Amino acid sequence: MTSPAWARRRDAAGRAWREFAANRGGLVGLVVLAVFVLVAALGPVLIDDADLDVTRATGDRLRSPSGEFWLGTDENGRSVLALTLWGTQLSLVVGLAAALLSVVIGTTVGILAGHFGGWLSAVLLRFTDFFLIMPSLVLAIALSAVLDGGAGTIILAIGVVSWPASARLVRAQTLAVEARPYIERSRALGGGHGHVIFKHVLPSVLPLVFVNTTLAVGTAIVAESTLRFLGLGDTNEITWGGLLRSAGSSGAITYGAWWYLLPPGIAIVLLVLAFTLVGRALETVLNPKLRERR
Amino acid sequence: MTPVLELRDLRVTYAGGHAAVRGVDLTLLPGQTLGLAGESGCGKSSLAMSVLRLLPKDAQVSGEILLDGEDTRAMSWGRLRAVRWASASIVFQGAMHALNPVRRVGTQIAEPMRLHASLPEDQVEARVAQLLAQVELPPEKARAYPHELSGGQKQRVMIAMALACGPRLVIADEPTTALDVIVQAQVLALVTRLVAEQGIGLVMISHDLSVLGSVCERLAVMYEGQVVELGSAPTVVHDPQHAHTKALAAAFPTVGDPASRYAPATTNPAGVPPKVVPRAGEPLLRTQALRVDFRQRGGGWMRAVNDVSLEVGRGEIVALVGQSGSGKTTLARTVLGLQQPSGGQVLYDGRPLPRGSRGLREYRREAQLVLQDPTSALNPRHTVYEAVAEGLRIHRMPGDERELVAAALEAAELRPAGRYMPVLPHRLSGGQRQRVVIAGALALRPRLLVADEPVASLDASVRGEILALLLRLRAELGLAALVITHDLGLAWNIADRVAVMYRGELVEVGEVEQVLLAPRHEYTQSLLAALPEVAPVT
Repeated sequence: MTSPAWARRRDAAGRAWREFAANRGGLVGLVVLAVFVLVAALGPVLIDDADLDVTRATGDRLRSPSGEFWLGTDENGRSVLALTLWGTQLSLVVGLAAALLSVVIGTTVGILAGHFGGWLSAVLLRFTDFFLIMPSLVLAIALSAVLDGGAGTIILAIGVVSWPASARLVRAQTLAVEARPYIERSRALGGGHGHVIFKHVLPSVLPLVFVNTTLAVGTAIVAESTLRFLGLGDTNEITWGGLLRSAGSSGAITYGAWWYLLPPGIAIVLLVLAFTLVGRALETVLNPKLRERR
Repeated sequence: MTPVLELRDLRVTYAGGHAAVRGVDLTLLPGQTLGLAGESGCGKSSLAMSVLRLLPKDAQVSGEILLDGEDTRAMSWGRLRAVRWASASIVFQGAMHALNPVRRVGTQIAEPMRLHASLPEDQVEARVAQLLAQVELPPEKARAYPHELSGGQKQRVMIAMALACGPRLVIADEPTTALDVIVQAQVLALVTRLVAEQGIGLVMISHDLSVLGSVCERLAVMYEGQVVELGSAPTVVHDPQHAHTKALAAAFPTVGDPASRYAPATTNPAGVPPKVVPRAGEPLLRTQALRVDFRQRGGGWMRAVNDVSLEVGRGEIVALVGQSGSGKTTLARTVLGLQQPSGGQVLYDGRPLPRGSRGLREYRREAQLVLQDPTSALNPRHTVYEAVAEGLRIHRMPGDERELVAAALEAAELRPAGRYMPVLPHRLSGGQRQRVVIAGALALRPRLLVADEPVASLDASVRGEILALLLRLRAELGLAALVITHDLGLAWNIADRVAVMYRGELVEVGEVEQVLLAPRHEYTQSLLAALPEVAPVT
């Protein structure tokens, strides 16, 4: 009996896509996103390892843009263009992974709190409140300082501090779904907690989770850049935040080397903007209330 | 005499070409009362709303709507505003939602008077008190908020509001649908008295012929956008001519009429099975001194079910009757193990209900629930097949799933089963949805069905079909049923025994004939006295 179900899903996906395509901002965001993903995927092909190696750098230090180095060079004589392109990969991966981690934690906690209620809900919600009131940046700094360096730590730090918002959201939606009589019918049929959660609650919460993830990626990328800029994580990894930090510490600002600061900065802005645009567009597609207001 | 309302060839068409009203002619003289009957979607509400041009923008209205001889379709916006409420007003459906929850009811009654400046400000308060007195509410209630009033009191406030500017025409759209029988009787008596005293023209809309017949002089029956029958109320109710009117009239049986005992109105060729005598012996379900308490907000306990001992025999249909808030739904949930009792116990097949989740799961294969509103009882994302197979999957029933689903759909009379399987609930009618819910319950081959108001949200013609289905299932599968209802006619239609619940207690239990024809408890007597009655043909 999968065929009608699949046909129905294909129909729904087609409708959602048409709705999405009608939103110009979302479409622009999607194109920008596709370019970034392409750059991240093709990074190792486009850029020679030699361009990134400090010892084999060919340029002078802090040269302004020229025919040879389109976006100038850094304090070690490496091409800023190559560094920025290379940084895309890690920024994207860390952003996606951290957002995913945060949404998975948030959804689990939210559904459990909404479904079971009672003391479990009370405990989980107080736990959520605790993370909600913690200054997240400070907590992330503390975490990445305690754990060893590297992208994994940064992902963990961002994921652990940013889940409470999605937990609250998912809990509210869970409560709304659980109040429907078809949940009662399902219980009367003999359905246990697992059945109700996976067959009824999760499918109706998923669209919300999806939108939330898209929006969370932008936040995670900014958080990642911030942590790198503050000098946390492995300084040998090339990321946009790390580039900004070395621009700051190498005197590029006093020297007036705008070509060192702007490319990674603009890249961060563009990527975050793209994710936000796509997220907002998805939100209007999946939330009928917002669609009417538009 | 100029009629207060005259409709000439009224047509309402919605965007997309759906014709809701297709050529209606009606005339209402001052002081006359007209009942408009019909099922959902027959166009009766569209007709009512078109009188004051309250239809959505995409509705195309043609024909003439003469209000006191003046065509509302030709009125300027300012004139229309002046006419709304001052010469014609509406009692909206669902008083619960038509009142603003954050304003005192007195202010809301005064609102139309202030808008129309029909009275100097210093007299408004006195007029509100006078209106409240007319609808038999004490003047202090003007200071109450809607949530502090009962359903019947809210409906009275709505009526007071409609009368505020002394209109010549009142349109009442399903004014008693959400109310209990006794409250309904009070509201209907009030409407009858006010209309007679003040010489107002009344158009009352309902799906229930007997409600209309008890208030109105004339009845118009609508079907697919047209008036199919128009005549004096007793004639239409007792001697219907059109097939649709006959179906409507038969759907709500007269309690005490032997012709409708064990015979709900059905056009199904399978008909109604012969009477089945329930087997004697140990009852299938028994509650012993059952108590359920709820902790109230702000402390204290509320006893929803108090010392209830009820039996349902094998293959027996028991109707549990009572008004809203009497605890009947709580009792049903407790019987199914969805609610833990505070005291007493539920015995199924002679054994107490298991408390563990595994034991309860076993029990729930045998006892199934049918909910009131089939629309919300089905997950809108699941196809009919998935909805029916849900129970089979939970209990990992042996056998071919597709065959079992097909058999359950056939048993619930959704034929051919294959045609319904891939359909989503929103593409089905209300009656078909309720059959899907029943099929989902039947798929597990239960022995007991607990049905909570199984036909309350369904149309009159569908009602009889579902009730006949319950009777046939009992005859063919030996299914016992506990049917919860506020509708005594339903009990008369299908039940073997009836249990009357009042404020959490069973006040009277016995054979249907005995309880409904010779009630002993005064609450049962007042329930029966409150049934709307239509005068005989003169």
